[in-house]
Amino acid sequence: MHTVVAIKQVPDTTNVRINPETGTLIREGVPAIINPYDLHAVELAVRLKEHFGGKVTVITMGPPKAAEALIECVEQGADRCILITDRKFAAADTLATSYVLARAIEALQEEGPIDLYLFGLQAIDGDTAQVGPGVATRLNVPLISYALHIESIDPEARVAVVHRKTERGIEVLRTRLPALLTVLKEIAPVQRAPLPNLIRAARYKPEVWSSTDPVPFDQDQIGIRGSPTVVGRAYTPAPRQAGDIIRVSELGLQECVKRALQNVQASGAVDLASIVDAKRPTDGNGGEHS
Amino acid sequence: MANKLTFDAIVVGGGPAGTSAAITMAKAGLQTILIERGRFAGAKNFFGGVLYTHALNEVLPDWQSRGPALERPVTDTGYWLLSPDSVLRFTQKSERYKKVPAESYTALRANFDPWFAQQAVDLGVLVITKTTVTGFLRDEKGRVIGVTTDRPDGDVYAPIVIIGEGVNNLLTQQLGLAKSDLPPRYVALSVKEYLGLPEKEVEARFGLSGPDEGVAIDIFGDVTLGLPGTGFIYTDKAGISIGCGLLLEQLVINNLKPYEILARFKNHPIIKPYLEGAERLEYGAHLIPETGYDRMPALYTDGVMIAGDAAGMVDALHREGTNLAMIAGKMAGETAIEAHKQKNFSAEFLKGYRRRLQDSFVLKDLKQYRRMTDFLDSTPHFMETYVNFANDAAYRYFTAHGMAKRDMEKEIIRLLTRRRSFLGVAVDMIKLLRGMRG
Repeated sequence: MHTVVAIKQVPDTTNVRINPETGTLIREGVPAIINPYDLHAVELAVRLKEHFGGKVTVITMGPPKAAEALIECVEQGADRCILITDRKFAAADTLATSYVLARAIEALQEEGPIDLYLFGLQAIDGDTAQVGPGVATRLNVPLISYALHIESIDPEARVAVVHRKTERGIEVLRTRLPALLTVLKEIAPVQRAPLPNLIRAARYKPEVWSSTDPVPFDQDQIGIRGSPTVVGRAYTPAPRQAGDIIRVSELGLQECVKRALQNVQASGAVDLASIVDAKRPTDGNGGEHS
Repeated sequence: MANKLTFDAIVVGGGPAGTSAAITMAKAGLQTILIERGRFAGAKNFFGGVLYTHALNEVLPDWQSRGPALERPVTDTGYWLLSPDSVLRFTQKSERYKKVPAESYTALRANFDPWFAQQAVDLGVLVITKTTVTGFLRDEKGRVIGVTTDRPDGDVYAPIVIIGEGVNNLLTQQLGLAKSDLPPRYVALSVKEYLGLPEKEVEARFGLSGPDEGVAIDIFGDVTLGLPGTGFIYTDKAGISIGCGLLLEQLVINNLKPYEILARFKNHPIIKPYLEGAERLEYGAHLIPETGYDRMPALYTDGVMIAGDAAGMVDALHREGTNLAMIAGKMAGETAIEAHKQKNFSAEFLKGYRRRLQDSFVLKDLKQYRRMTDFLDSTPHFMETYVNFANDAAYRYFTAHGMAKRDMEKEIIRLLTRRRSFLGVAVDMIKLLRGMRG
């Protein structure tokens, strides 16, 4: 079974500070890591390889430094890593990124069949969760986002049963393969890499693809030219103030509810009267929040 | 496991000792694996720090052309005697220091060690990080033939293991070469801050004419509240390294917290102006083994040699350690090369490692200063008494009071005898001399 995983190297946002004047991330001096969701995607691919045999290919689009992230994937058990890097890719939004990754995957398909595409749920620096679904659409393969657990997978019959987390519970979905999954961390715990993998990784050099070789990417669809996204304004929300505490033990239930409603109304955040009149909302679909 | 991981040599630890050993062996064609527990070589390392180039010359003669991660050459160096309100400076600044390469450079280990390890990689060493060596593999006769690690399939085999594991020498203890943890009396705790300051500002404050000049000052007296220990200020490229260290035992006895001592030091009226407006970029602490010659672990056993902090190779008086570690690592590497030629990895053969060290400055210096730690320990008043006296005396000497100079001299003598009897002074001086002369 051949799994392709797409990863992103991101700044470790647990250490990131925001420049209060520009509203942008201060990336200087912040260590770069594999996007945590992606690491679990790699781990899942490696577990599947251990179970079914086959191979794991990892691709990433990013600056030359992103090679570090790929080498870490080799440590975790990836077989082949491709770094798609070129100054022309710079400033890509999710549209341009999904184009590049989809084209790269199509190039890999020409070398041999691929059974599964894995993406992390979202990157912790942008939080859009758009690239995985974008690639699925471009490749015209089934998409299962928020994948939580793989119940079964049958590479022969080319079907898989996948649990998907939604706001209202867990969906159990059967899909044909190849499919594209964007995964949650629960999909596979990250295991400590064996020493032979580290030795292989220490000597490993990722393949490097440019914007023209070996895949001639459409220069109008990559980088800043292929990115229609415009950031209007970035700002840091003002810190929320602590709320009032109204104690049932002090005021009694009735009085507490009354106070709470008064506070809500006074805040002007919600038009209480309209809510009371409206019918309860019907169930939405689990929602692609991507 | 399918394939045994086998190498010609295993090095434990990516600091100066281990990396020097690995470079030496790789240059001789030995398949060498270096195992480091940190995220990168140097991730766990911290020093003042001044780096001496004589050791680099020996380990990596072409180091200058390899873009070494150094801060500033040391061109102005010496001692400051700090009393609560004064400083008496014994420093030397000289054109002689301004040769290329300089005798010593300030450096930041978080930059230097990864650079040094990269040279090892370039020379063919397999550097594996994020992996801790947990123990040893032995043959039927109990001789070490490899190491175990905290990784799955993590056993590695080699006929020779060089340990540069640092001050926390758990493996050295596991081998029985060190008998116990370092006693608090023979280990110092050093704390340091790296403060960022624009290059020009560093140069203006320390009277430097450009990036080819730098300051390295060791400070005694009030910096450690007069207790046995030292402080330091070193200029980096665009910043200042400032810190202090005390014997662990002194911290315990006096119930002191190292970071409070450093905060106090930084606020000293003499020191504070140098640091004004600097931004703290890095802070940390590290133990320094001041075990001394007499309590050094055994340096070898069948299939193993120990180098660097793990073996207590620190000359605290001259703030030397990394250079001792590099030379020891190199000598361990050379001994391993010999051992491979002779196919003899026995303790008897590896004795040659100790012999090499004995013929070098490493063990000669450690032997000469073997009483230094005990000297400080047995004269805990030393710093306070003499540093404060020297400052009082200097103040008296440099001011005029319309008094006959003979009377001033008497007054200066009284400044001393008020603090310590003649006999006491004599004893202190004899002890100091013994500490210095060996």
